[in-house]
This record gives sequence, C-alpha cells and structure tokens, in this order.
Amino acid sequence: MRGTDYVVKRVLFAIGTVLVAITLNFVLFRSLSGDAVSALRCRGCSQEFKEYQRRTLGLDKSKWEQYQIYLGDLAQGDMGRSLRTEEPVTSILWEPLKTTVPMVALGTLFAIVFGVATGVVAAWRRGTGADKAALWGGLGFYSMPPQWLGLVIVLFIAGWLGLPTAGVKDPTLGILDDPGAIEVLVDRLEHMILPALTLGLVIFGEYTLIVRSAMLETLGEDYILTSRAKGLKNWSTVWKHGFRNALLPVITLVALSLGFIIGGAITVEYVFSYPGIGLLIVEAIDQRDYPVLQAAFLLLTLSVIVFNLLADLLYFRLDPRVTE
Amino acid sequence: MTPALLEVEDLNVWFDLPNGGRLHAVQGVSLSIAAGTRLGMVGESGCGKTTTVLALMGLLPPTASVSGRIMLEGVDVLERGEQTISPHRWKDVAMVFQGAMNAFDPVKRIGEQIAEPMELHGVATGKEAAARVRSLLETVGISPDRARSYPHELSGGMRQRAAIAMALACTPRILLADEPTTALDVMVQAQILELLTHLSDELGLALVFVTHDLPIVAQTCTHAAVMYAGRIVEQGPTDALYHATRHPYTRLLWAATPDLESQDDVVSIPGVPPRLDHAIVGCPFAPRCDRAEARCVAERPELRTVGEGHVSACHFAESLEVVA
Amino acid sequence: MSPVQTGAPPVDEAPSPTRSLKWRAIAAPVLRNKSAMVAVFVLGVFVFLALAGPLLIDGDPKAKVGEVFEPPSREFPLGTDGGGASMTALLVSGARVSLLIGFCAAAISALIGGTVGILAGFFGGKTDTALMRTTDYFLVIPDVPLMIVIAALFGRSTWNIIVIIGIIYWTFTARLIRAQTKSVRERVYVQRARALGAGNSRLIVRHVLPQVTPLLVANTVLLIAYAIFAETFITFLGLGDPSTISWGRLIENAFTDDAIINEAWWAVIPPGICVMFVVLACTIIGQTMEDALNPRLRTGHLSVRRFRVLPSPRRQEP
Repeated sequence: MRGTDYVVKRVLFAIGTVLVAITLNFVLFRSLSGDAVSALRCRGCSQEFKEYQRRTLGLDKSKWEQYQIYLGDLAQGDMGRSLRTEEPVTSILWEPLKTTVPMVALGTLFAIVFGVATGVVAAWRRGTGADKAALWGGLGFYSMPPQWLGLVIVLFIAGWLGLPTAGVKDPTLGILDDPGAIEVLVDRLEHMILPALTLGLVIFGEYTLIVRSAMLETLGEDYILTSRAKGLKNWSTVWKHGFRNALLPVITLVALSLGFIIGGAITVEYVFSYPGIGLLIVEAIDQRDYPVLQAAFLLLTLSVIVFNLLADLLYFRLDPRVTE
Repeated sequence: MTPALLEVEDLNVWFDLPNGGRLHAVQGVSLSIAAGTRLGMVGESGCGKTTTVLALMGLLPPTASVSGRIMLEGVDVLERGEQTISPHRWKDVAMVFQGAMNAFDPVKRIGEQIAEPMELHGVATGKEAAARVRSLLETVGISPDRARSYPHELSGGMRQRAAIAMALACTPRILLADEPTTALDVMVQAQILELLTHLSDELGLALVFVTHDLPIVAQTCTHAAVMYAGRIVEQGPTDALYHATRHPYTRLLWAATPDLESQDDVVSIPGVPPRLDHAIVGCPFAPRCDRAEARCVAERPELRTVGEGHVSACHFAESLEVVA
Repeated sequence: MSPVQTGAPPVDEAPSPTRSLKWRAIAAPVLRNKSAMVAVFVLGVFVFLALAGPLLIDGDPKAKVGEVFEPPSREFPLGTDGGGASMTALLVSGARVSLLIGFCAAAISALIGGTVGILAGFFGGKTDTALMRTTDYFLVIPDVPLMIVIAALFGRSTWNIIVIIGIIYWTFTARLIRAQTKSVRERVYVQRARALGAGNSRLIVRHVLPQVTPLLVANTVLLIAYAIFAETFITFLGLGDPSTISWGRLIENAFTDDAIINEAWWAVIPPGICVMFVVLACTIIGQTMEDALNPRLRTGHLSVRRFRVLPSPRRQEP
C-alpha cells in the first residue's frame, strides 16, 4: 500500500506529541507551579482531603516518581479529584463535554461551509465587487474578538430573534408535563444557535481569507491555463481542477486553527453561560480548581492532536504526491 | 499552392498597465500557415512570440485588447473574442505550453487528463477514450500503462511527451508549441523534435514552434519568423533565412549561436530591446544595429519581399551581404 | 542550449543587496496600496492616543466622574462605564496598555522565532532537524488554551501576559524565517562570500539578515494583531492584570458589570471596535508587506471578464 511508512510516521508523531502534551501538563501543573493541583493552598478543603491528595499524588516522593504515578493514573482513566467538590474529575467532565461538542461542531460546520463558498467565489471572481465584499467581510469578522461579537449579538440580535442567551435548556421545560424528544431537541438547538453562530462567524472570517488565498494561488498555476486551453468553461475548471488542489493547503491551515476555535469556544460559552467545557474551565480558573483545569486542558490538547492526525491522513489521501 | 490552414492578418495585442498606460506587445503580425508546415518563431524574451501564440487560442488575460483577424480555414475566429474562439480550442488548435512539466493537474492521473478534452468535445468517451489515450501515449513513446500514473511519477521528458499526447487528443490541425524542449536534455530534445516532425509529415499537422533556440529551428522547421519588439522583422523558408539572411537582427542572432565547429567567437548583441509602452519611431532595432543609418532612426521599415515567400523589414534588406 | 545574449544580466544573479533596498521592499508596496495607507493612518491615530494619553486625560481614568452607565452626552462623548468612569478616558488609556502588550509580545515572538528560524535555516542538518522537531511538537499544542492555562497558573501581571503571548507565537515566525534563510543561503553572493573565507557570523549578519529582515518585519506586524487579540482572550477570562486597563479589560468589565442588562451599548461596543480597527490595520499592513515579498499571487488564469476585441479596418479585397 502506498505510503504505509507515511501513515506510520504520522501516527508515531501523534503519539510523540501526546507524550509531550502529557509531560507538559505535568510540568505546568506540578513542578513549575509548585503542585497547584495539590490541596496545599486550598482554603475550602478539609484536612482529610488534603491528606488524601498528598497520598494519591505522592507529594512526599521525588518528582520523577510523582510523574510515574501521574502516568499510571492517566492510563487508568484517573484524572484526579476536584478541589471544590472532591469528586473525580472524569465524572465532572462528561456532561459539559456532551454539551460543548455539538455547539462547536455546529459553529465550525457553519464556518467551513460558508467560508469555503465565499472564499471560492471571491477567488474566482477576483477583483469584482463580490471579491471585495468577501475580502472585507472576512477581514472584519476575523478581527472581532469572539466575546465582543457575542455581547453585541446578545445586545442587538437575540431579543429580535427571540432566542435564549443563557444556559442550554429552558428551566421550565419538563415541570408541568413530560417533554417529547422533539421538544427537547428544539430547546437544545435554540440554546445552541447563538453561541454556535458567534463562534462560527469569527472562524468564518478566517476561513474565507484562507480559502480565497489558497484558491487564488491555485488559479495561477499552469494546469489551470491548460484546462482553459482545453476548452473547459470557467466554473468547470474551478470545480474539477482548482478546488481539489486548493483544498490541500486549506486542510493544513484549518488544522492549525483548532487552537483558535477552542479559545473562541471558551469565551463564547462564558458569554452565553453555556454549560460546556469552556464554561467549566472558566469556573475552574475562577475557583482555582486546578485538577479540573489540568484535566480539561489535557483533554482539549489530546483532541487537537487527534484532529491534526486526521487532517494529516486526509491530506495524504487527497494528495498523491505525498509518499515519504 | 496549398490553401492556408491558418491566416493571421495584422494581429495587434495591447496589455493595460497598472499605472494606466498600455503595452503594445504584438504589433501588426501577419502569418500564413498551410497544413504540414512547421513554422519556427524566434526572438529574444519579451519580443511577443508567446503572446502571439496565446492570442491564436484566445488565451489572453482580461487586461488584453486585440485587433486583427485570425482566419481558421477562411473563418475569422477572432471576430467576437472569447465567444468565437473558444469552440475551436483543442479541437482545431491545441497547445503545448512552456514548462509543460506543470501543465498537468498534480492530483489527477495522466490518462484521465488526456481523456478529458476528448469527452468534453464529444470525440470519444469511456472505453473508447481510454483506448485512444493508450494509443496516443504509444505514439509519443510512452508505455500505455503509464496512463494510470500521476504527473509527479513521470520524468520531465516524459511529462513533456505526455503533454504532446494530450495536445493531440482531439486531433487538432494546428499544434502550437511554446518552448517545448527547453529544460530537457539533448537526447530527449532530439526525440521530441523527431516526433513532432514525424507527426507533421504523416498527419499534415501544422506546427508553430516558439523558441529562442535557433539550431532547433534550422533543424526542424520548414519556415521561420523572426520577431523583434512585437513585430516580425524577417520571415520565410528556413533555408532562405539561414543561407540568405536579409535582416541585420537575424544575422546577429545566428552569429550569437555557439557553433561547435566554427572557430569564431560567440558574438553577443549589446543593448536591450526597446520598451513597448511607448510608440517607437523608426526601426525598433536601430539602436543596436551594426548597420544603422540616419534613415533607420527616422523612418520605420515595412516588410518587403526579398525572395520567394521571404520578407524582411529592413531598409537595406536587398543589399545585405548573403551569409553562407 | 544557446540563449541569445541580450546584454541584460540573467535574473537569478541578483547583485549583493544594499541597505536601502531592504526598506524599500516593504515600504513601497504599502505606500502604493490605498487600503494599506488608510490602515497606517488608523494605526498612527491609535499610537498617538497611546503615547499622548497621559497628556489628554487628567487624573485616574478609572475614577468615578459620573453616574453608572450614563449614556453618551456632551460631557461624556462615550458615556460612562459600570463604575461611573468616562468611557473616553478609559479607551484612551486602554490604548496605551493594549498597544504596549501587542508590540512587546510581538517583539518577543519575532526575536525568538527569528533566531530559531535563522539558525535552523542557516546551519541545516542536525540543528535544523532538532529545532524543527521541537517546533512541530509545540505547534500541535493549542495556542490559546495553553496561554490561558499558563496565565491561570503563573499570575496576572502585565509583564507575565506579554511573555506568555510572546512565547506562544514564535513558532509561526520560525518556520517562515527558516524557509527564507534557506533560500538566501543558496544565493550566489552568499556562496561567493563564503568562498572568499567569510565566517558564519559574518555571513549571517551581513548577508542573511538584510534579506530576511523585511519578511521578519512583515511577520511581526501580523504578530501584533495576534497579540492584541490574544490579550482580549486572556483578560476576558479574568486573568488580566487587575491594576491596569486594556481594551480587553473594558470588554470584560462590560460583561461582568452587566452592561447588557442596562442596555449600555456604549460600554460594550467602543472597546471592541478599537480592537477590531487595530487588528484590522495590522493585518492589512502586514499582509500587504508579506504579499509583496512573496509574490505567489500573480495573475490568475481564470477571470470572469474577457479580453477585448477592437474592430480592425477590413482589408480591401484584391
């Protein structure tokens, strides 16, 4: 099979990055910050809990031994305990994760679909009004801090659209009678739309610029001229030859934007009080609940690494030139 | 006398410049090409030969303005620009581009790309197209199995030959080749020239060969046109141009060609070609000509007949010594 | 191959560049481009406000000078915030902090990234692999979350924030500069200088640096946009320096002071607009410079418009 070495290499790289991420996580939360995750400086924690932490984290042992304990715990799915509630972190992460994923997925999907469409049209109709509108629109949204856009949307648009601006579900739903599945779904969606839209708009700005740029570069290639010389119509050339080639750099750049998406998601959830991972992180920071912060950060980092690997493999699938 | 397949009358091409002026890239070019003719177009970079050839297929950018007539078997295809020219692309006139190495879409297989114009112009589809592709590849000396290869899997020389195969896909009457052998090693160069000559002789294919490499013209072409500053300064059967040169520029071009057998020094032509964004008074070559006189600077020489099918644009065309 | 000698030098053999050439390469395209010039003007206005801030505002901009969330009036052109302080005063002093953070963080990133890039590109081989491998690993770790975590763990001073932003973004610069350094290293005049016995440091300083600096400057301008943006993220989550005011802080204040419930749009919109304008300006300027240095976006072969056909006088039939 072509390029098995490539796939193996990328997977190994991903594993390597995972190790780096885990180690970085340890270094940040344990050694550099003076064991932020221990309950040492926690004022609301009981004495028993502090003892418990000391034991399970191995605080009286050497850093290297602590690291090994940490790795062992992770392998078993143990991410420590919240300093605030003393519950296992893993049980705290699950619900917010289920809430965040659909919202971010919706927003990113919106951004990809509209970003690609706008970018392609802008590049194809270079120099025309459509191009300029797309360029300035993209630049505009790209320069907006997502939290600010969220606030603006809440201020001006939410009321007008009649959409809720906080939480993920209507608290009155289910009090008087059992809500049907459709009702619940609609309710969830209503609450998801504004945060997803806010996130989506800012990313859409970035993607429009990326796609436009990649497409412009592709349209300057010789094979585009050849295609035109062969008699293909413009739109046919764009679709058959331009798009597939422009897609390649777009995949790379989208993969690089994941950090930004996460950052955007965190701020957007905060603005809309949307109870996902982002809001959890903000609360954890506020309450100095470091184990939760550490686990959430690790989780996000791992997701990004996985997505990057998927992007690499997708790129490999699409570009026949990649073999080494 | 065989009727002309392609007649170009008084072709002019201007390009809009970003600062508002216009570049007069092709100035009153007229050509007459019969079936089976191989016309070499020579001149320094920027003399307008590539632009002329691109104009024949209407592959000019939107900053271009054209005037003149391009008669394909008696019909003016330039009459309404893109509209009248595009139906003839690839079917009647096909092109092998400069740096044809990049003429292929890197993410599609060679065979698919050669078959593309066949299917587009209704020449052949499906299995029949695939069979034609294989036979075309054989004609240019590539194993038919390579149809399933991607462009990057072929060597430079093979890609060039594949580009020729692609150009022949719809059996055009005229093949335009822009520097098809530049950047190829001598052996491959010879093979390709031999192939083109063969095709021209066997199929009656008319060839327009753009190059700055004079020995190729001497070896392969039946006729030649020398361009300078957007104009044709000498044109005629290759023999006549070689043995009975009637223009100082052509003479200097021949002299500038390193010849393994001769003992003479290589003479370079001092100076640079004139800018084409202003109108030129007098002979454009006068500043660099070794035989220029007062008349040359004041009065522009028109093309005049100096032999059978042989024209030259020099005031002293008739009196130039014949160089062996 | 027998190219005709034209007397003009072949294009690849550029003569050794002079100092003036370096600045013209990036300044000229900006001066020619209308949008870029507008961007420069806008940026200039903000820089002026930042520098002249203390002169324009008397006293502490955070001081309560009016009622809470007063709408815009003659006295307070942009109204007051949740603490009764004048929005105009806050914005002007916020400019100072935001731009300072932006410039300093960008400078740090550029310094680290530039050094890494030049070393990797110039020395190649093992140094290159080691440096690039490290960069690759860190590129994958998401930037914004990492900044947030470091800020949460290590304290909330302005200087900390500058350093945090600075150490996150150097990777982009490093790759870019490395590529440029590699191509410069292969150029003829560098080979020539090396053949004449020039040492590595001399080669780097006198030959590589002048060629790489324009790109570095263009990249740094873009980094300023990133940095100011990143600062708003960090500050919004409550991790900013509590004693300073930046635009990011103003947005956070608007949120935590419930400006929305009070419908005080004047507390919400202006700081975001300021951030937007500066980020937009830097992006436009930086991108114009970068595009001029990497002319990849030449003519496209497709266009909606067509070439024009001019009528030609018909020839007389013989």
